[in-house]
Amino acid sequence: MLRSTLSKVLNGSKLSPNLVCVTFRASSDVAKKPEKIEVFIDDQPVLVDPGTTVLQAAAQVGVEIPRFCYHERLAVAGNCRMCLVEVEKSPKPVAACAMPVMKGWRIKTNSDMTKKAREGVMEFLLVNHPLDCPICDQGGECDLQDQSMAFGSDRSRFTDIQFSGKRAVEDKDLGPLIKTVMTRCIHCTRCIRFASEVAGIDDLGTTGRGSDMQIGTYVEKFFMSELSGNVIDLCPVGALTSKPYSFTARPWEIRKIDSIDVFDAVGSNIVVSTRTNEVLRILPRTNEEINEEWLADKSRFAYDGLKRQRLITPMLRDNKNQLTPVDWEAALLTVGKVLQQAGPNVAAIAGGMADAETLVAVKDLLNRLGSELTCTEHVFPMDGSGTDLRSSYLLNNKISGVEEADAVLLIGTNPRFEAPLLNSRLRKTYLHNEAEIAVIGPKVDLTYDYHHLGTSAKAINDVANGSSPFSKVLKNAKKPLVIIGADLLKRSDGAAILSAAQSLAAQATNKPEGWKVLNVLHKVASQVAALDIGYTPGVDKIREAKPKVLFLIGADEGAINKEDLPSDCFIIYQGHHGDQGACIADAILPGAAYTEKQATYVNTEGRAQQTLVAVSPPGQAKEDWKIVRAVSEIIGMKLPYDDINEIRSRLNEVAPHLIRYGDVEGANYFKQASQLLQEKKSVDDSPIDVKIKDLQDYFMTDAISRASPTMAKCVQAVLKQKESKY
Amino acid sequence: MAFLGQGSNSLLRITPILKRVAPGIASTCVKNASKDANQIRTDLALLMPEEVEQRKKLEGYITVDDKTDISPVTGVPEEHVKERLVRIYMPPKNAMQSGTNNLGHWEIDFETRQRWENPLMGWCSTGDPLSNMKVQFQSKNDAISFCEKNGWQWFIQESKLEKSVKPKSYGINFSWNKRTRTSTK
Amino acid sequence: MAGSLMKFTSLKKSNINGIFAAIASNGQIHFYSTPPPGTPPPQTKTKFGPLADEDRIFTNLYGKHDWRLKGSLKRGDWYKTKEILLKGSDWIINEVKTSGLRGRGGAGFPSGMKWSFMNKPGDGRPKYLVVNADEGEPGTCKDREIMRHDPHKLVEGCLIAGRAMGAKAAYIYIRGEFYNEASNMQVAIAEAYQAGFLGKNACGSGYDFDVFMHRGAGAYICGEETALIESIEGKQGKPRLKPPFPADVGVFGCPTTVTNVETVAVAPTICRRGGAWFASFGRTRNSGTKLFNISGHVNTPCTVEEEMSIPLKELIEIHAGGVIGGWDNLLAIIPGGSSTPLIPKNVCDDVLMDFDGLVAAQTSLGTAAVIVMNKQTDVVKAIARLIMFYKHESCGQCTPCREGINWMNKIMYRFVDGNAKPDEIDMIWELSKQIEGHTICALGDGAAWPVQGLIRHFRPELERRMEEFNKKKVSSSN
Repeated sequence: MLRSTLSKVLNGSKLSPNLVCVTFRASSDVAKKPEKIEVFIDDQPVLVDPGTTVLQAAAQVGVEIPRFCYHERLAVAGNCRMCLVEVEKSPKPVAACAMPVMKGWRIKTNSDMTKKAREGVMEFLLVNHPLDCPICDQGGECDLQDQSMAFGSDRSRFTDIQFSGKRAVEDKDLGPLIKTVMTRCIHCTRCIRFASEVAGIDDLGTTGRGSDMQIGTYVEKFFMSELSGNVIDLCPVGALTSKPYSFTARPWEIRKIDSIDVFDAVGSNIVVSTRTNEVLRILPRTNEEINEEWLADKSRFAYDGLKRQRLITPMLRDNKNQLTPVDWEAALLTVGKVLQQAGPNVAAIAGGMADAETLVAVKDLLNRLGSELTCTEHVFPMDGSGTDLRSSYLLNNKISGVEEADAVLLIGTNPRFEAPLLNSRLRKTYLHNEAEIAVIGPKVDLTYDYHHLGTSAKAINDVANGSSPFSKVLKNAKKPLVIIGADLLKRSDGAAILSAAQSLAAQATNKPEGWKVLNVLHKVASQVAALDIGYTPGVDKIREAKPKVLFLIGADEGAINKEDLPSDCFIIYQGHHGDQGACIADAILPGAAYTEKQATYVNTEGRAQQTLVAVSPPGQAKEDWKIVRAVSEIIGMKLPYDDINEIRSRLNEVAPHLIRYGDVEGANYFKQASQLLQEKKSVDDSPIDVKIKDLQDYFMTDAISRASPTMAKCVQAVLKQKESKY
Repeated sequence: MAFLGQGSNSLLRITPILKRVAPGIASTCVKNASKDANQIRTDLALLMPEEVEQRKKLEGYITVDDKTDISPVTGVPEEHVKERLVRIYMPPKNAMQSGTNNLGHWEIDFETRQRWENPLMGWCSTGDPLSNMKVQFQSKNDAISFCEKNGWQWFIQESKLEKSVKPKSYGINFSWNKRTRTSTK
Repeated sequence: MAGSLMKFTSLKKSNINGIFAAIASNGQIHFYSTPPPGTPPPQTKTKFGPLADEDRIFTNLYGKHDWRLKGSLKRGDWYKTKEILLKGSDWIINEVKTSGLRGRGGAGFPSGMKWSFMNKPGDGRPKYLVVNADEGEPGTCKDREIMRHDPHKLVEGCLIAGRAMGAKAAYIYIRGEFYNEASNMQVAIAEAYQAGFLGKNACGSGYDFDVFMHRGAGAYICGEETALIESIEGKQGKPRLKPPFPADVGVFGCPTTVTNVETVAVAPTICRRGGAWFASFGRTRNSGTKLFNISGHVNTPCTVEEEMSIPLKELIEIHAGGVIGGWDNLLAIIPGGSSTPLIPKNVCDDVLMDFDGLVAAQTSLGTAAVIVMNKQTDVVKAIARLIMFYKHESCGQCTPCREGINWMNKIMYRFVDGNAKPDEIDMIWELSKQIEGHTICALGDGAAWPVQGLIRHFRPELERRMEEFNKKKVSSSN
C-alpha cells in the first residue's frame, strides 16, 4: 500500500508508475559497468563488484562463512548474527551477509574475534533450543547440529538449566504438509521471507518480542501455497519438518537417487530418497536453469500415491467382464493375438507421464503394423506447420529466461498451478525486474499483481492491433514474453489464437539477439517428447478412424471413452495406476512409474532429462518400453533394441536432442511458422478458461496424485481453510 | 630446515631418508640447496648412463598409452562388469542444508537394483554387491578412466549448479520504489 | 581567555566576526584564522555551571508559563525564523557545527556533521526529518518536559533542522504513553500551521515544510532510530542493519535523519544566539547546555537545564537538594540513563558530566539521566530489574540480544539471592561481552553495560551474597 501511494505522489497522475520504471531502466542499462574492487579474505585477494557482500566475496574464494538466516535466494535479514566476521580496523565484527565490502578491506574469517563471536552466537542459539536431536526429524541434516560442531564451544556452561527450564512454544498447525515443533525454532525468519517473497503468500510472520517471539500465522491458518514444502528445506533446524515423512527415516539410512519430476512440464530436478524399495521422500535438486532449488508441493508430496492403486500384475477382462489377474505370458499372448488380427487398425494414445523410450517403441511398433495413429491426450493445433516446427510448441525462451523479462503476457494459462516453478520465476521478475505482467483469461490469483486484459480471446487481437493499453508496454519492452497455455489451443480457434500470438510476438522489435518472445507452456511431462517423436496431438483422428485395437500408454485423462470407439475395439492399457484408463481396458500391462525406470522426459523448454531407477517396480510390473518390445517379439515384428543404450540410439535417430540430456535444444523458424499459420479462421469471442483456478484443484491432477492420500488431505485442508473466517 | 642447510654433505645424506618419510620436505630441501651450487649426487655419479635412465624411469609414473581393462583380473563377476551402468556425477547440495564443504567433487555410482526389507531384522537387503560403492574423484576424466579401466559402461550426468553472482543488497528491503520492499518480518 | 569567550556572548554577531579577525591578527592563536566550522576551540574554561538564567534555552521547562503559541512567542520562539530560514541550509549547518552540538539522544554524534550528510545531491527522493520523541529509557524524562511545556521550541526546531537538511517534512515519533505531551504537541503544530509558520511557504520563507505526529505503541526499541523508521512505516519496530544508514535509506526508503527532541529543540536558539554562544558552555567537544534528569535517592528529583561538564556532585547538590542522607550516604550513580554502567561514590566525587568525562570513568553520558542510589539500595536487585526491563523490551530479532539478555536476566535474579557460584560472575561478564557489539542495534549493548558496571564495581558484594547463601544452604541442610 505504501508503495502505491508513494509512486502516486511522485508521478502525480494515474499513469501506471511502472511505465515510468521501464524507461528508467532503459537508460540505466547504458550506464558503464562499475569497476571491480579488491578485498582480502584471509589475506587472499579477490576482485568483486561493488555492492557485493562480505559473505559473497568470501564465497568467491571458497571460504564459507557460517549462516542461519542468510539464504542466497531470499532477501537479506541479518538477524542470526552467525556470520559475524572481523574486518581489520573495525572495532566490532560485522554481519557478513549484509555488509557490502569496501575497497581494500581485510576480512578475517578465522581470527580470534570471529571465532569468539560465532561461539557466542552459537551458545545463545542453543540456550533455548531443545536438545531433542534424537527424536528430531532434522537430525543428521541439521545446520544447527553441524555448525555447533564446527563453530560452537566444546562444552556447555548452561548452568541455568538447573534453575529454570528452556523456552517452550506451542506448535502451529500449518496444514497437512508441514509439521511444526516451534520450540526448536531459532527465529532465522527464512520461512517468513520465503512465504512473502517466493511463494507470495504473506501469511507467516513474527509475533511477540524478545524471548517470547514466535513465528506463525498469528491467527490459526494453514500455510496455503503450492510451494509450501520448500520451507521445510529452508528451515535450518527441525522446527518445520515434513509431516508425511515424519519419523520415517534418518538421512544416513536412505539412498538418494537423482531424478526428474513428471508432475508438470517443468521437469524439476529431484532427489528421490529410498529405503527398502520404498520411496520415502522427494527433495529438490538444484538446477539453476529449471527449478533453482525449489520444488512444487505436488512433486514433493505426491510420492505416497506411488504405493497405492498400483497395477502390479497383468490383467485381462474375462467373460464376466471382470478384470482378472493373469501372468505375463497369457497377457502378452492375448495382446499379441489381438494386435495381429487387427493389423493396421491400431491406434495409441500417450498419457501425460509416458516417457520418450516408450513413446518411440510404441510408435515403431504401430508403424510396423502399418498404422500412423499415434496420438497424445493433450491437444495442439495442427493447422499450418502444426507440430513440424518446434518453435510453435516450446517454451522457447527457457524457464531461466523468464527471470530477465520486463513485460509478460500470459494467455489462457494459470502458471501458478500449471507450472508453479515457472510462476515463482515470474514472481521473481515481477519483484526484482519490475516486470509488467498482463493476463488474458480468467482472473486468478497469481501471487503478483497483473493487468487483466479481459477474458475474451479477442483481447489478444486488441493487444496486437494496439488498442489495448498493454500493447505499448509490450512493444517498448526490451525483453517481452508471450506465454500461451497449451490447454487454450485445443479450442476450435486454437490455431487462430496461436497465429495471433505469433504475430503479437513478431511485433517486439527492440529485443536482444536470441530473445524469443513466443512461448507455449505445457501441462504434462510427456507432451514435448511425444510431439518431437511425431505423435499427433489430440485424439480426434482416432475417433474418426475407429480402430480395432487401442493402446493406452498411461492415458488417464479420459480423452476418449468407450462410446467413441467401435464396440469390438480392444483396449490395452499400459501404465502404473489403476485409474480411468485401466477401467475401460480389456487388457492391462503393468508398467513402471517415473521413480522406477530410467527414462527420458523432455520438459516444456525442450530440454531432455532422464529419470533414474530409484526403486524397482512393484509386483510384476516392468519397465514400459520393455513391455512394448516383448509384445513386438510375440507378434513377430521384433523391435531392434534390447537394452537402454540401444533404444536410446533409436531415439537419437528420431531426434538427436532427445538424448542430449540436460541441454535445451532451441527452436527457431518463428517467421516461417507464423507464415504457414496465416489466420484462416478468426479468433472467436468465447471466453478463455483455465482448468485449474484454485489451490484445491491443483493437488490431484493425474493418476499418481489422485492415488495419494497426502494430496487428498491437502484438498481437504484447503476446503476447510476456505470455510474458516481467516 | 635451518640445520639442514649447514652443509651440503649432511643434506645429501639426509635427503634419501627424508624422501621416504616426507617427499614434500625433501623436494623443498633440494630446491633450496640448488640455489647455492650444483651438487654432485654421490648415488648417481658412479652409475652407468643406462642405469641412470632405468632409475629415472622407475622414479616417476609409468605411462601406458593403450586402454587398459583390468576387469579380467579384478575378480569382479562378469555380469557385474558387462551389465552395470555407472553414473558419473557431481553430488548436489542437500536441499535440507546450506553447507557446501563436502561438494565440488565427482562421484560414481551404479544403477539401482532391487532392495528389500530383510524379514528377520527389518534391515535393508540387496543382492547387488556394488550398490554401496561410491567412489569420489577429483575430476570427471578421472572417473571416466576409472570406469573404462574396470570395463563399466558409464554416462555423465551434469547439472547446472553454478549461478551468476548478483550482489545481494540489504538496502533493497526498504527501497522506496521497488517491489522488493518487504512488508513482513 | 575564558573570560573573553564569555564576553563574546554578550556581543552582537557582527561584532564577533570582528573579534575573531582581531584574534587572528594576534600571532599566538592564528590557527583560529580560518576556523572550519565544528573545530573545537581550545579548552580554557575550568569552572562549569551553574548556568545563568539568561543562558537557559528552555525557559518554560517547569510549565510555569503558557506553553501555547502566545506564550512561546513571548519567550522568543518563532522570532525571526524567516530570516534564519532565508540564510539557507549551509548557514544553519555551519552554525550548528560551530556550536559543537552533539546529539542529545545518547550516542553524542556531532549534529552538524549528521545534518550535513543529508545535503548530498538528490536523486528525486524526498528527504525527511524524523524526531525521536520515543523517550523510554528508565530515568530519562527530558523530552517530555520539552514537549509538554515548550512544544513550540520543537516545532520551530523541526522547521529549522528540516530546512538545514532540505527535508520535505518532519515526523515526530512520540512515545505512546505520552498522552498529554502528544496532545500538546499536536496543538502546537496546529497553531504553527494556523500562524503560517508551517505548511506551504513556511514563515513566509518560500520553503514548504510539514510536521506530522506519529504516536508509538509503547515499545522501548522503537526509540532506536531504524526501529523507529520501521515503526513509522507501519511495520514491527525491529531495527535495521546499518549500512544502509538512514541518511541513505530511511523512512519510506528516502534519506532521513533521526534526531533527538532536545537536539532539534535547541537548534533555533543556537541559530538565534549563535553557535559560538552555545560552544562557550562546557568543555571543548562537549559544549552546550543540557537537560539533566536527576532521580532516585535525592531530596528533590528534578529535570534541570545545566551547563555541560558540570561536576556530578555539584549538579546533585545544587539542583536535587543532595543525596538523601548526605553525600556520604551515596552508594552509586547511573549517570546517563539505565543503559549506562553505574559508577560508585568514589568516582562520583569528581566526575564531570559530559561525554568525555564519563567515558573516562568507563561509563557514558547517555541521555544525562542521573539515577542516584544511596546506601539503602539493593544494587544487585536494581541492576537485575534493569536487565528485566531490557529482556522485556528486546525486539527478538537478533540472537545475542533475544537469547542473551533473557539468560542474563535469569542469572541476575539468582545473583540477587546469591544463588550462584562465584565463577558465574565471570561467566555473566563474558556473556555480556558476547552480547555487546554483536547485535543489530545498541539495545544489546545497553543491556550489557549495567551488568558490566555492576561487576566492575560491586564484585565483592556479589561474592558476599553467594557466600552467605551457601552458608545458609549448608546450615539448613545440616
